[in-house]
Amino acid sequence: MGVFKLKKGYDIPLQGKAERRVEKAPKTTAVAVQPIDFRGLRPAMKVEAGDKINRGSILFVDKQNPEILFRSPAAGTVREVVRGERRAIQRVIIDVAGDSAEKFDSYTLDQVNAFSSSQAKEVLLNSGLWPIIRQRPFSRIADMDATPKAIFISAVDSAPLQAESDMLLDGQEKNFQLGIQLLSKLTEGKIHLSVSTKTKTFFSNLSGVELHEFSGPHPAGNVGIQIHHIDRIQAGEKVWYLSPRHVSKLGGFLSTGEYSGTKTYALTGSELDKRYYVTGSEGALVSDLLSETLQNNTQRVISGNVLTGARSSTLGFVGFYDDMITVVPELEGRRFFGWLSLGLNANSFWPMFLSKLTPKKKLAPTTDMNGEERAFVSTGEYEKVLPMDVLPVHLCKAILVEDIELMEQLGIYEVAAEDLALCSYICPSKIEFGDTIEKGVEIMEKEG
Amino acid sequence: METLQKLLATLDVKIKEGPFKVVHPMFGAINTMLFTPGHGTTTGPHIRDSIDMKRFMGIVIFALVPSILVGSYNVGAQAGVEGLFAAFMFGFLKLLPIIVVTYAVGLGWEMIFGHINGHDIHEGFLVTGILLPLTLPPTIPLWQVAVAVSFGTVIGKEVFGGTGMNLLNPALTARAFLFFTYPGDISGDNVWVAVDGFSGATPLAAAAASTGPAVEALNNAGFTLNSMFFGSVAGSIGETSTIAILIGAAILLITGVGSWRIMLATILGAYGMALIVQFFGADAAGGMRTLPAHYHLVMGGFMFGMVFMATDPVSAAGTNAGKWIYGILIGVMVILIRAFNPAYPEGMMLAILFGNVFAPLIDHFVVQANIKRRLNYGK
Repeated sequence: MGVFKLKKGYDIPLQGKAERRVEKAPKTTAVAVQPIDFRGLRPAMKVEAGDKINRGSILFVDKQNPEILFRSPAAGTVREVVRGERRAIQRVIIDVAGDSAEKFDSYTLDQVNAFSSSQAKEVLLNSGLWPIIRQRPFSRIADMDATPKAIFISAVDSAPLQAESDMLLDGQEKNFQLGIQLLSKLTEGKIHLSVSTKTKTFFSNLSGVELHEFSGPHPAGNVGIQIHHIDRIQAGEKVWYLSPRHVSKLGGFLSTGEYSGTKTYALTGSELDKRYYVTGSEGALVSDLLSETLQNNTQRVISGNVLTGARSSTLGFVGFYDDMITVVPELEGRRFFGWLSLGLNANSFWPMFLSKLTPKKKLAPTTDMNGEERAFVSTGEYEKVLPMDVLPVHLCKAILVEDIELMEQLGIYEVAAEDLALCSYICPSKIEFGDTIEKGVEIMEKEG
Repeated sequence: METLQKLLATLDVKIKEGPFKVVHPMFGAINTMLFTPGHGTTTGPHIRDSIDMKRFMGIVIFALVPSILVGSYNVGAQAGVEGLFAAFMFGFLKLLPIIVVTYAVGLGWEMIFGHINGHDIHEGFLVTGILLPLTLPPTIPLWQVAVAVSFGTVIGKEVFGGTGMNLLNPALTARAFLFFTYPGDISGDNVWVAVDGFSGATPLAAAAASTGPAVEALNNAGFTLNSMFFGSVAGSIGETSTIAILIGAAILLITGVGSWRIMLATILGAYGMALIVQFFGADAAGGMRTLPAHYHLVMGGFMFGMVFMATDPVSAAGTNAGKWIYGILIGVMVILIRAFNPAYPEGMMLAILFGNVFAPLIDHFVVQANIKRRLNYGK
């Protein structure tokens, strides 16, 4: 087991962690599958509004690779195919009714062991679970025809208020092993599984993986950071990654022969009164999961964590890769001489506020930008929250001037927007590092 | 408070669309200084650090307060004013007009460029506007201050695109402009004491002019390590008191605004180079080369420049490794200029400007090293 003790990074002291208990969602009225959750996906629809569908029915496929299927997490009727700008499909909403399910073959561990790699790929594609695997560089759905150098799984929970892996995986040991077995057929390299001291007991009897232990502040749990430390991505190489929860989902599919639509979420954030884990549906309607009423104009609902999650609302649906909902207070208005405040309750990485004297005190910051955009001024601090041998400011500047060669040289293949989220968070000039990286990634994809 | 906010919001629209829209950058700066801008996040990160440029630059000004207080007092004390408060007020009334002229002229330029470029006045100038007066002698003619600020702001900063884009520290650019265009009013023995007809050499000038061992000459002129440390000597307004500057340095270091790497590297560079100079200068008849190394650290603009100018994050090296090289370079240069260029007993200003010019090159090599490491990974 490799042990990685990362020093760089920062844990934002936030109120609102979920209690370690699981409850059933109060109701399941609607679910959605959202093409916008998958970077760069162009869907080709297979259903239209009014169609009756089963759990596991195909909703749409990838236009470029029609073998990549997206199946419905629930049975019912297609309510609407929501389109956004330029008629791009944003989500397919399903009104849930009944629980009739499509049937697939089921497999034992030995049967999966005997799979050839093409068989494994075929089963995975047909399951509709191919999209659980993503690829670096570029964080998009794994390339069907690629053979990855390695597969990475992070069971290190470092993001703000993050759902704890052992809560999401509870009782799924067998399915997890089955999932790993299938994944091992897809690469000639290793499957790297990163754990923390908290999560490692769950994986103690697991075989077929290379275990690594990571400790340290966020973003130590980000798979991109772990790849950088375990086996870096070089030009031309591809690696795949997925979440531990998706590994057990895959195992569950193999052992039962059904596309399971259930998913456990952590309900977090200072604005929620009741915070715990809830079992609902994949792509659940946010209000279905909550047992309390929220005000969308004074409370921000986020699908995911505060750093990288997507802005949502009680009428929104939880993203495919998200296993938590965070609710934080919306900005309250302008504060008188805010920049001069003593800052007893100011959330800050910088030792410029009195709150730094009470580092254990959990805070409940709003969605205030706390300033306006300025040119790059500060230097040397961004590196403190990025545990990689990457120069974040220089990389971003290379992206802003669209110098492709320099972007490559400075490590564009190694980073994703989520890895630099803390740089945006701490920035006194309010520079959007994540958006810049996203732009850089888009340029690189276009260049091929 | 709410009525004030409403008034500001109405004024904002009126000024932006009215005939006085050229003052809008100034209004915007005041508006957001009174109340936080009140912008919410649109995408992730949904919450942001409480820090902003106003706080960042505000801390620098806060760190300058000890130098302002002690410097003002010393201007009075040098002029022979008796009493703590009286001396302070005497000095402060010399400093205040310089600050007012600096701000008035500088903010005027910032407003024009903010109008052209469509942004509010940026906070960087708040610091420049205090830094420059503190690097000047108390007798500086105000019209020269106005000309220097114009040069520093326009040529030193705005032509590069404003705060964050400038190559050189704007305050030092302004000072260098004065130094080379009106040397008689910013160097020599006659400018440091704010009373007509009185002259007083700075410790650096006394050491440079010494014909015997420099320490002896300093002592004869009434300069001791103590007096130079506490700041009861002649010099530019803010540079004389090492202890006041060190308090400021502590504030900058604790808050993370100033780079400890640059400060430490500059000290190491200067002290190391001074030791070398002293070693080889042991047989010199007199002058700077006979000065013990540690004297350099409390004399002239070394401390002030190191703490407040060399650490300016925009014009300094931006990479962590680069900051070491940049600091050492400045430290070495200041001693070389002091010891081997009799025309300029003060070397700090030129050393920092020299470091500023080389900072991009230093960063370039650090970035290249990063690229090389990346290429060699796994080989």
